[in-house]
Amino acid sequence: MTTRPVALVPGVLALLPSYASLEDPVAGLRAACLAAVAALGPRVRVLASGPSGVRVAEALVSAAGGCVVDEDETGVLVVGNGSAKRTEKAPGHFDARAEAFDAALRESFAGIDAALAAELWADTACLGALPPLAEAEVTYDDAPFGVQYWVATWRAA
Amino acid sequence: MRLGRHTFGDDEALMMAIVNRTPDSFFDKGATWAEDAAFARVAEVVAQGAEIVDIGGIKAAPGVEISAAEEKDRVVDFVARVRETYPELVISVDTWRAEVGAAVCEAGADLLNDAWGGADPELVDVAAQYDAAIVCTHTGGVTPRTRPYRIEYDDVVASAIADTVAYAERALDAGVARESIVIDPAHDFGKNTFHSLEVTRRLGEMVATGWPVLVSLSNKDFVGETLGLDVGERLLGTLAATSVCALAGARIYRVHQVVETRQSVDMVWSIAGRRPPLRAIRGLQ
Repeated sequence: MTTRPVALVPGVLALLPSYASLEDPVAGLRAACLAAVAALGPRVRVLASGPSGVRVAEALVSAAGGCVVDEDETGVLVVGNGSAKRTEKAPGHFDARAEAFDAALRESFAGIDAALAAELWADTACLGALPPLAEAEVTYDDAPFGVQYWVATWRAA
Repeated sequence: MRLGRHTFGDDEALMMAIVNRTPDSFFDKGATWAEDAAFARVAEVVAQGAEIVDIGGIKAAPGVEISAAEEKDRVVDFVARVRETYPELVISVDTWRAEVGAAVCEAGADLLNDAWGGADPELVDVAAQYDAAIVCTHTGGVTPRTRPYRIEYDDVVASAIADTVAYAERALDAGVARESIVIDPAHDFGKNTFHSLEVTRRLGEMVATGWPVLVSLSNKDFVGETLGLDVGERLLGTLAATSVCALAGARIYRVHQVVETRQSVDMVWSIAGRRPPLRAIRGLQ
């Protein structure tokens, strides 16, 4: 286990304030993300594969009352998710391999096939070092829009 | 903006549903002349989400003369009944007569919609006395219940702004609250179709006065003449004009069709960046 709490959230752009709707389409996901981020303490280091993931992480940390730091962190926020090809209406359309790919991630983040992840539109670049979900408190595990999301928290050892 | 007992934010667009207590108005042709039919119409538009009902006892077009006493018979008790049943609803009464205005305010009206541009100079005093809101319209100086006949303007929008703002300032001087004064270019009133089209096209200039703008476009002759359509066929044209006015920032829409107008205004309001989408997830998953 780690010496600092670690949380995993998906890089869902709908979580950004600039994309707010009158009715929140990701209300449940947002609540889970905010609770997970709140458990990281006031200074959060972010690991994300790209700028949009960083923006999502910054927005969540800010909404939870913390700030993003490069060192002396009280917790680590990892941004990533499974395949975006889970259903016919998924952003990447349906790929029959996606469900098994996500099921494997659910067991372990070790040894992810980066090429397959890219084909399946999975954002896994920062997930490799995470302990298994079995060791986390998983508060969200669903693919409501054809994209596999997890929200999970690994408490400090 | 405050309409009688009801306050609204600057980013809200409001639906004012027309409820005629007349036997002869042009669109519904007396469908809500009976009090119970008019009351059912109120229930319907409330269910459709209208914030305001505009109750009228005299049709705008020329016709049988209706005395103030008869006008009061048609609207005063009805206003009281609506007030009692729907305390959250803004009640507007379409009248130009101060005597009628006082009676309906006494019965619970929040807003006096003077479609005839201040023909009765004492109407503003009534609004002030009852802390009611008032709609200041532009009619080009015509007498109530007359049709425009060979009226021309050097600049119809400049005339509409000058007259409605002057009326608004007269209301302010009489003691009407600043936040309770609304201006209306009054499409088709003292205007030919070309005038009404120009007022629509240049509505932003009225909005720029800073007074909240009401538009009354619903199924009017300028739509009918523009498209060659009879009264029952003007919804799409009305909604096109509505969209142009919404983009310019009109705040109140006096309408027959609440649902369709709301949908159009909501869409334009979102395009204008004044209203978030209801529920956007496409591409944002």
